[in-house]
Amino acid sequence: MNHQPFEDWLLEDQRLTSDQERDLQAHLRICTSCPAIAESNLALHSTRMIRPAEGFAARFQVRLIENRKTARTRQFIGTLILILAGLAFLYWLANPVIQAAMRSPAEWITTAVGYLLFILTSIQMLSEVSRVFLHLLPDFISPVGWFVIFLLVSGLGALEALSIRRFTRKPQGA
Amino acid sequence: MNEEMAWVLQAQQGSDEAFTQLVEAYQTHVYNMCYRMLGDAESAEDAAQETFLRAFQHLNRYDQKRPFATWLLSIAAHYCIDRLRRRKFSMISMDAEEDEKSLDLPDADAPNPESEMMHSEQRERMQGLLKRLDGTDRAAIVMRYWNDCSESEIAEALQLTVSAVKSRLHRARRELAGLWQEDRPRPKPERRPHESPAF
Repeated sequence: MNHQPFEDWLLEDQRLTSDQERDLQAHLRICTSCPAIAESNLALHSTRMIRPAEGFAARFQVRLIENRKTARTRQFIGTLILILAGLAFLYWLANPVIQAAMRSPAEWITTAVGYLLFILTSIQMLSEVSRVFLHLLPDFISPVGWFVIFLLVSGLGALEALSIRRFTRKPQGA
Repeated sequence: MNEEMAWVLQAQQGSDEAFTQLVEAYQTHVYNMCYRMLGDAESAEDAAQETFLRAFQHLNRYDQKRPFATWLLSIAAHYCIDRLRRRKFSMISMDAEEDEKSLDLPDADAPNPESEMMHSEQRERMQGLLKRLDGTDRAAIVMRYWNDCSESEIAEALQLTVSAVKSRLHRARRELAGLWQEDRPRPKPERRPHESPAF
């Protein structure tokens, strides 16, 4: 047999039959390159695990606690920066309004009171309208109509629940 | 459900004690992988600790259909490959670390101390040669010979195809054999009585 099959056996490091083993041993005695592969394979097969120094798990616990502390600090600083940046942005947006209000306080107090009155009367008017509407509505809509409305609302609710579930599913695998 | 899976499930629910059990169970496998990949005890300790920390942080991503050991070794291998790449960029030579004493000492209580010594020398030599392999090839060799992983497990861990793993292992064995032959200790020539020591 020529050299190549023996080299392939060694490089694939596969289990050999006793006949193949005998042929390989005979080849190793005459070949110049195959013994190096056989020796390095043998060295790989005689490997041994190296253990970490005692107390590895305890050191891991310490590291985990430190890591949590760092993460908390980082989170706090991040939130603080975000709040400060938000406040600065709001100040920048509101600055012209504040400046104008400071110049003529009577004017903005009148405007504010006007707005407040407008909101209050709007709420009052809306509640009056909805009360009348709810009082008259049952006479206009038939029971079939109510059933269709109920079905539509339930369908929309189910659709929303399904989409939330789909988008919040956790990915699998590392 | 086996004990390991119970620990994993408890750890996924936030139990530190359960995760510590997993650390105790797999510390040697992970540390050994990091040591073989990085070549020194200090980096190996740091990389192994970081591996467990990353595993703890991403435990919700662990697919329970896969063996936990393979998942851990995959994190360790990727972390070490990344570190090796960064080392390469920062131009730190691996050779500088070769002088460090290996922890793989011969077993004094072995029945045949001479053969044990020879095996120990071979192991040390192999560790030196391993450092000269490409990061991914090194990870494949370590998983194959130190952790007894199958080719499909190595493929899954290193995100390669099985045929790519086979070809990487084939290439790595050839390279190691070449280095093994180059690195073979040559017998010292004996000086004849009337010969000059310089020549």
